Amino acid sequence: MDIKPILSSLRRSPTGALLVALQIALALAIAVNSLFIIVQRLELLNRDHGVDVENTFVVSWVPVAGRFAGEPAMREDLQVLAGLPGVVAATTVNAVPLSGGGSSTSLYTQPGEKGQRGDINYFAVTERGIEAFGLELVEGRNFDATTVRKLPRNGSEFVPEVILTRAAAKELFKDEPAVGRTVYDSLGQPATVVGIVAGMIGSWPSWDQAGNVALFPVIADEQQARYFVRALPGRRDAAMKAAEDALGRIDNGRVILRVRPLDYIAASTYADDQAMTVYLAVVIALLLGVAALGIFGLASFNVGARTKQIGTRRAVGARRLDIVRHFLVENWLVTTAGVVVGCVLALLLGLWLSETFELPRLKLYYLVAGALVLWGVSLAAALVPARRAARVSPAVATRTV
Amino acid sequence: MLEMQNVTKAYRTDLLETHALREFSLKVEKGEFVAVTGPSGSGKTTFLNVAGLLETFDSGSYRLDGEDVSRLGDDARSQVRNRRIGFIFQSFNLIPDLDVFDNVDVPLRYRRLPAAERRERIDAALELVGLASRRKHLPSQLSGGQQQRVAIARALAGDPALLLADEPTGNLDSLMARQVLDLLEQINEMGTTIVMVTHDPELARRAHRNVQVIDGQVTDYKPYEPSSATVTPLHPAVAGGASRA
Ligand SMILES: Nc1ncnc2c1ncn2[C@@H]1O[C@H](COP(=O)(O)OP(=O)(O)OP(=O)(O)O)[C@@H](O)[C@H]1O
Ligand SMILES: [Mg+2]
Repeated sequence: MDIKPILSSLRRSPTGALLVALQIALALAIAVNSLFIIVQRLELLNRDHGVDVENTFVVSWVPVAGRFAGEPAMREDLQVLAGLPGVVAATTVNAVPLSGGGSSTSLYTQPGEKGQRGDINYFAVTERGIEAFGLELVEGRNFDATTVRKLPRNGSEFVPEVILTRAAAKELFKDEPAVGRTVYDSLGQPATVVGIVAGMIGSWPSWDQAGNVALFPVIADEQQARYFVRALPGRRDAAMKAAEDALGRIDNGRVILRVRPLDYIAASTYADDQAMTVYLAVVIALLLGVAALGIFGLASFNVGARTKQIGTRRAVGARRLDIVRHFLVENWLVTTAGVVVGCVLALLLGLWLSETFELPRLKLYYLVAGALVLWGVSLAAALVPARRAARVSPAVATRTV
Repeated sequence: MLEMQNVTKAYRTDLLETHALREFSLKVEKGEFVAVTGPSGSGKTTFLNVAGLLETFDSGSYRLDGEDVSRLGDDARSQVRNRRIGFIFQSFNLIPDLDVFDNVDVPLRYRRLPAAERRERIDAALELVGLASRRKHLPSQLSGGQQQRVAIARALAGDPALLLADEPTGNLDSLMARQVLDLLEQINEMGTTIVMVTHDPELARRAHRNVQVIDGQVTDYKPYEPSSATVTPLHPAVAGGASRA
């Protein structure tokens, strides 16, 4: 190949080539890490959330002081909701999954804050909770309806039964079977694990233990209670309308505030992630665009500055293709130098990001993909100037002084 | 070697049409050393470009080494230039970023010769022009005469049948010019046909034959007489122009 003479001429006038190579290196390092972050965010957004996000909605309300009857009123509302056409199940909740707000507690495998400890995001639900969330019970059983009750406000009473997600069970009991085992709260009060659900993302989707969730058989306190309702697929919007109307017709001492679909609530929790994704995608596009411009500029400049040389090469026997190839090889060498340095920079940047922000390490195949993309971009950007070079007439050799 | 019959070539721009060659006919035999003279703008360079397949022409016929080359495609023309023609330019046209060795190597690479053969040819050509010791020098580190000798080595390394030179001494002082001409004579004696455009009547006189171009046509055309190197008398109009140059 013609690499040797091209390399030696690059070595003799390196400034422009070095600047463009540096630009390519920075573009690669930043673009690859941005892409990696984007993909992680998208994985977060698109993972299985366990909860039936598309078909559920939340009714929020406030009790009117002195007129609200407590548990009987909530039971009445739940019954009305469950009876609506297209509704599968309804439960009270103390917090809404994927909303960014919720409660967590520490559970232990032995009393006295001993044994294995797990930080668990818990939801107070009725015996219809699993159904209302749309979860899959994979082991054990649902709550015994008689255990579901309202706990005294400001009390420290624990529940008799809990249902754990697989992730929470693993946190507490490793790979041992969890059903039938006992967990303890920080006061040492016991509860039996009666069932395991496949998986569910709790209140804080970007928490790295967002899947450590427990369900407690509790009617949430009216100060924080909301109704969580699941409709049949495709019938959520109609069910929301019906819920609003039906609850509005009953006067049992509470005021309905809002009826909102869960996907709307989740989307606003994820808004920052989504904005970050778009922002980084724009950054990548700009970096690639600027790198392409740099390559195009350097190649165009070289073609313009070397018209006589190109004419001479043509005169002594270069075909048009040889000229195109000359510029593409030269450009490829510059790009490759940039890519090599860029890979090193990308790894260093990735290392720093993962250590500073506790992110996973950059996967190596992102580097491969980034290098391929930059090679492609650089080839495309150099093609137009290279073809312009090929059109230089060999007569330029005798006509140019 | 070279046979042009009634070749015409016009340059057209939006505003005007310049007839650079009109009914241009010339025959150069194998082994000849022909000097082409003529006033500025008479079409000498145009003739040389057509002869060297750097430019196409409008009508007429051109046979190079017995082969009709008027209808060759672009790649085929490149190949003819590469293998059968050597060019020497007024301003040397060396590639400034390449050293002497790599400059001579340029046409050989386009010919895809194996490295060993290229090296042999380059060494021989540099030996011939007396620059074997300068192979690692850049053009900017050489004198004008040395640069032109590198260019001659580049033209010769491909072992061409025809050497075309456009004012090869135009940028050199008279001593260097004489050295370059000595070299060309030596090359011609080794069998290479040379066609050289020059303004210098003294240099022209050293060729076997002089051809005058005036207004895109050959005047005082005299076929080659191998027995004696003849010099055609200069056209009065040209003699003045030549002495000014
Ligand atoms: N690319 C071009 N476009 C238009 N006209 C051209 C072009 N090249 C040459 N000409 C014209 O063609 C004519 C012949 O030019 P040419 O360069 O062959 O002359 P020349 O004999 O080599 O002159 P000189 O001794 O000054 O080098 C001139 O009138 C010139 O202006
Ligand atoms: Mg000329």
